[in-house]
Amino acid sequence: MRRSAAIIAVLIMLLTVSSCANSEKTAEFFAMDTYMSVKAYGGGDAVDEAEALVFELERKLSITDGLSEISAVNEAGSAQVSQETAELVASALGLCELSGGALDISVYPVTRAWGFTAGEYRVPQEAELEKLLRLVDYTKVKVSGDTVSLGEGMLIDLGAVAKGYAGDRVTELLRSHGVKSAIINLGGNVQCLGRKPDGSRWKIGVQDPAGSGYVGVIEAEDEAVITSGGYERFFVEDGKTYWHIIDPSDGRPADSGLISVTVVGKSGLACDGLSTALFVMGKEKAAGLWRENGGFEAAFVTENGDIIITEGLSGRFTTSGGRKVSEVIRRDEN
Amino acid sequence: MKTKALVIIIAVVLAISLAASAILYFGGERKTANIYVDGKLYRSIDLAAVTEAQTFTVETERGRNVIEVERGRIRVSEADCPDRVCMRSGWLSEGDIPIVCLPHGLVIRLSSGGEVDSVSR
Repeated sequence: MRRSAAIIAVLIMLLTVSSCANSEKTAEFFAMDTYMSVKAYGGGDAVDEAEALVFELERKLSITDGLSEISAVNEAGSAQVSQETAELVASALGLCELSGGALDISVYPVTRAWGFTAGEYRVPQEAELEKLLRLVDYTKVKVSGDTVSLGEGMLIDLGAVAKGYAGDRVTELLRSHGVKSAIINLGGNVQCLGRKPDGSRWKIGVQDPAGSGYVGVIEAEDEAVITSGGYERFFVEDGKTYWHIIDPSDGRPADSGLISVTVVGKSGLACDGLSTALFVMGKEKAAGLWRENGGFEAAFVTENGDIIITEGLSGRFTTSGGRKVSEVIRRDEN
Repeated sequence: MKTKALVIIIAVVLAISLAASAILYFGGERKTANIYVDGKLYRSIDLAAVTEAQTFTVETERGRNVIEVERGRIRVSEADCPDRVCMRSGWLSEGDIPIVCLPHGLVIRLSSGGEVDSVSR
């Protein structure tokens, strides 16, 4: 009797010790104009370092902070930046090219004219848009060494990739502190490190673009799950809804039949940029890009409420609330 | 004697069913709403234990939000922020999508959202 009590006591102590080593710590903060949380199991104060890292990236990349490196480029048309920023601009340009310009980091003058930066929304005149569209051309953004230069009058904004990139950096930082399990949510951009402490995959809800629940849940490990949707930032004028994702080809809110695109993949940077690009491209072109390149999976919600997934998500995407997947995009067309 | 035994049995069955329904009603899991201001926990409320609706005001130098609580749910009913996104979010009763008032640095979220670990949006 006594012996078993002693054994139980030792077991309890061991359990307590192991739970300490695996203790959960969360940092919650506002950065990049949104709410962020970094939850890590083990790794001690690594989450605080992660928070500091995000603020550091914000200072470099912010479009609204006049002292940021991106602002320096925009003001002077050409500026020397940190190696990190130069590399990020180069990577973003790679995604612009991959998407055939559906993502364009130089669409900023147009986005600004719609008031999406300052929150003073308005519908620009056709002539104004035409004039501003002449400034939109990512191929005129050049990165040479640590210098980023733009064409005359151009402005760039890394908003479509900055949070995804920050997620990559945070994941990397946590990993270097020995963290094996973490879940990061940077303003709705989810990135997970490893699996949950209990060994199961993380369950990531995909926001219902037309309501408050989820359209489904994606099981993920060591991946980013990033969604772009028209519901994130929008305004209504004369009964028409205008959202913040601008189609660089006509300078108007993307009207591709999609209301949300979720991209799942290893690189947060790529998933972030691609979620915007695929939203602009629409289902057919997005499917084409996925077939040609791969390396990611995607879930689409159309304006009719249909849910469409690429085949790599079947088996790990569970719809919620009685919804059904209406189509699975396969690698071999039919 | 027999009636006494019967009464006791009935009383026990009643007590058990009452206890069971109480557990079912209040839920094994408590539903806690945490209110954060600038990332710091401001107040924690067990929504399952709320018996009557109540409102209170969170006031900081950035502005004020009036928070309304009912059993199982919470919302921002009034705010003096410019965009009122927090008010338009409506009632929060499930899930892990927080109510956020960005201009005031206010976040209301439920602990143990349950079915998902995070939400992509």
